[in-house]
Amino acid sequence: MHDRLDHDFMNDESRQYDPNEAALGVALRALPASAPARDAWPELASRIRRRNVARKAVWFTLPAAFAAGMALTLAWPHLHRPAVSPAFTPVATQASGHAATPPANNIDALQASSQQWQAWVQKLDRNGAPLDGRQLTQAVAFQDRIGLVDLQLSAARNPSTTADLWQQRITLLQQLGLLHLQPYLVATQRPASNDHLISM
Amino acid sequence: MLVHPCSVDTPTNFQQTVDPDLIARLQRGELAAFELIYRRFERAAWTLALRLTGRADVAQEVLQDSMLKAFERARQYRGDAPFAAWLRKLVVNEALMQLRHDRLHVIEVFDDTLAVDESPAPWMQADAATVERALHRLPDAARAVLWLYHVEGYTHVEIAEQFGRSVSFSKSQLARATKRMRELLQPQLQVEVTPCTIGSTTTS
Repeated sequence: MHDRLDHDFMNDESRQYDPNEAALGVALRALPASAPARDAWPELASRIRRRNVARKAVWFTLPAAFAAGMALTLAWPHLHRPAVSPAFTPVATQASGHAATPPANNIDALQASSQQWQAWVQKLDRNGAPLDGRQLTQAVAFQDRIGLVDLQLSAARNPSTTADLWQQRITLLQQLGLLHLQPYLVATQRPASNDHLISM
Repeated sequence: MLVHPCSVDTPTNFQQTVDPDLIARLQRGELAAFELIYRRFERAAWTLALRLTGRADVAQEVLQDSMLKAFERARQYRGDAPFAAWLRKLVVNEALMQLRHDRLHVIEVFDDTLAVDESPAPWMQADAATVERALHRLPDAARAVLWLYHVEGYTHVEIAEQFGRSVSFSKSQLARATKRMRELLQPQLQVEVTPCTIGSTTTS
């Protein structure tokens, strides 16, 4: 590949020797080197450190993201059924007795799961890459919806409703977590469009 | 006897060898090693970026981005070319990429029948500051081609590859740049450089 540190210009057959042009080359090469107005190293070092931190975070969060993705895929059919509000709970379900009522240990499991997802999201929020404006808006919307679910949970009396609300909370936390992972996913998927120019 | 400036081993050019141990430390991701390398090549990289882009703010960006790539891609350096040449290639690529993104759509289009000017070349009498001013007044593509050809030693084929254009593009930009330099360095023939967008025609 290209390497002309030896500057063997005259050996280049495509170059036609013209004394005037050669003199222009000499004049250009004689121009003094200059230096940037300010020391660029501190900014460069800071960028490198930030990217190192982000890269480590990717390696830390990618397995978690994979797990989250898997969990989301498995839970998808359940997550997208219409939310059943207490007022619209089918009578038949209630009439069928305790069959439709989730056991207390199921609610406990959902609650524990919700706590785990919340801890994961908080960790991402603290250590992750900053979100852009659009993602930030989405994150705030998710947080608002989680707050609304919490409000409904505090008023819920029906175990079935409670279970549904906990499930909604988990889903929202998963979506919020995935939102925090988006900068990394975009970074890892971005094609290196100029790599072909850099190989030597 | 004329001494080629690039043959002088000074910390202001890319004609520097880098200790393999230092490169190995860089490849292990040692920031301290990279700072040593950065300090050695900062001026050379900056100067090259400035000559190619013609603007200090863009050159600053090129310096940052190319050095960042040097750090992150250090492991890709296999040692089959001098490290300085590898680094210089990164700077050239980054500068041309900036030009492509920002301003290289402003390219002079002209016919390829520029007459050969046999009159004495004004750059032989001009001082460095005057030559530099004239260089910075050239259109982006013409300046970059002129610099790559005369100083970095690229061939027309290589320049064409870098720009994603034809060889005749490189040749015509070089001819135009040479002509403009001649005009700009002749005080009595001072001509304002007014780049035209692609699609327009400029007759000479």
